[in-house]
Amino acid sequence: METQDQAKLLRHARELIAQALAGSELPQIEAILRNADMELHWALWNLGEPVALRPELEYRTTR
Amino acid sequence: MTSPPLATLSPESAGSPFWNKLTETMPREKLDALHLQRVQALCHYAYEHTRFYRRKFDAAGLRPSDIRTLEDFKRKVPVTDKSEFIHLQQERPPYGDTLALPMDFVAHHCETSGTTGVPLAIPYSMVDSVRYGESWVYGFWGLGIRPSDTFYFAFGWGNFAGFWSAYWGARRLGCRVISGGGLDTKGHIQAIQRMKPTVLISTPTFALRIAQVARDMGVDLSQSSIKYTYHAGEPGPTALPGMREQIEKAWGAKAGELLGIAEVDAIAPGCPLGDGVHVNEMNVFSWSMDPESGGEVADGEIGENIVTGYANTAQPLLNYRTHDLVRRRSACSCARTWAKFEGAVLGRTDFMVTVRGTNVYQTAVENILNQIEGVSMHYELVLTHENGNDGMTVRFEPEPSVTPEKWDAIAKDAGERIHQALHVRLNVVPVAPVTLPRFELKTKRIIDQRPKELRRALDR
Repeated sequence: METQDQAKLLRHARELIAQALAGSELPQIEAILRNADMELHWALWNLGEPVALRPELEYRTTR
Repeated sequence: MTSPPLATLSPESAGSPFWNKLTETMPREKLDALHLQRVQALCHYAYEHTRFYRRKFDAAGLRPSDIRTLEDFKRKVPVTDKSEFIHLQQERPPYGDTLALPMDFVAHHCETSGTTGVPLAIPYSMVDSVRYGESWVYGFWGLGIRPSDTFYFAFGWGNFAGFWSAYWGARRLGCRVISGGGLDTKGHIQAIQRMKPTVLISTPTFALRIAQVARDMGVDLSQSSIKYTYHAGEPGPTALPGMREQIEKAWGAKAGELLGIAEVDAIAPGCPLGDGVHVNEMNVFSWSMDPESGGEVADGEIGENIVTGYANTAQPLLNYRTHDLVRRRSACSCARTWAKFEGAVLGRTDFMVTVRGTNVYQTAVENILNQIEGVSMHYELVLTHENGNDGMTVRFEPEPSVTPEKWDAIAKDAGERIHQALHVRLNVVPVAPVTLPRFELKTKRIIDQRPKELRRALDR
């Protein structure tokens, strides 16, 4: 798979996680989702994509 | 219906010679474009989240938006040093006003060994620890270590970042982890025989020490299950080819090393060719500085490694002085484009030496000696290498007014104070007044009697 295609899928996955995060009232599930988002952010970073220094710094736009 | 076979990685990934070929072989222009975007983000982040950097930037008349090129970053952003952080942490423990995140985000606390006098407190957020661990994996993978391997940590964990981060890396790679924490040397040997790990993690001198004790027990570790040894914390098989030969022979294994700086990152995993380390340019931006002029030195020349870490979002480090002298190369026949330090660290700007895994600074020892009544200003630090370990002997002249029967008591007092302050036991030996050499210009305090092949290149 091309890097750009993979990055596009990762960004979409983060959007889905952001939606699930927004509706979460269970601390366990929110913690798991934050962890998942951290890993996806890290994957984008390591594909050389322009992402913020920390995943939470993007939450205002993704949540 | 049968389930598909369980595998930690797909065959395509498992067969890759790189942990991440895309970035490890990324062209320099692309790497630099990424660095620019990331150091710009880091400048904004540090300025907005820490009073420390706001003060630094304001004092320099600098705004984060002034950084438009990497040259701007190198020239305009003030260099920082460990002593500044320690000072601020002492004023307001534990982290002073260098912390960029709410304390709730600090997931792990480590400390340096305190050999410069006072330990540096190091906070890591969860993101930071994941990034830090990842740095080790590039080196593990390059050496040939795979998720099917089993790590043995011959290390008492404490607050030291080096082996916590190695653990984070082993977890990331998906390997089995066995902790040898709390065992003595014989216990490590027995645990290795019993549990059959394939990777040894230790300081390089301790790997040699274990092998020596094993020989004394009649155990030949070259026939053990260990296939790889991986080291950090002091000059190892990359910096010291003689040590590589000894470790690989004693363990019958391939030895690897990375250059780490506790408060920054496992910044440079070993090159698979074994002759240097590659800066992990996904986690670190680095350049080489002439310690005298402050200017940048050219590729291939020796300079002080100045680093900026992307893995330190809890306590950002921008243009941070490492005091490590390195020779930087921009190309390597292993195909990695990440900057290479030939021979890892070639020397120190501040005369640090490593004794049994603990960094000992000449100035720290001097500071202690200077506080002891009866010790004159004439002393020397003699470095030796015996039984696989570096050692240091402090030879001092008592003040002429002190009678000889008091010399041993003074030496004992000095030894205790050094142990208390630096957590390392050194031999302290009095010598008769006016027997040590006198110098007209700079005093030569360090007498290095270690075999040349076991010294850093610039110390030979």
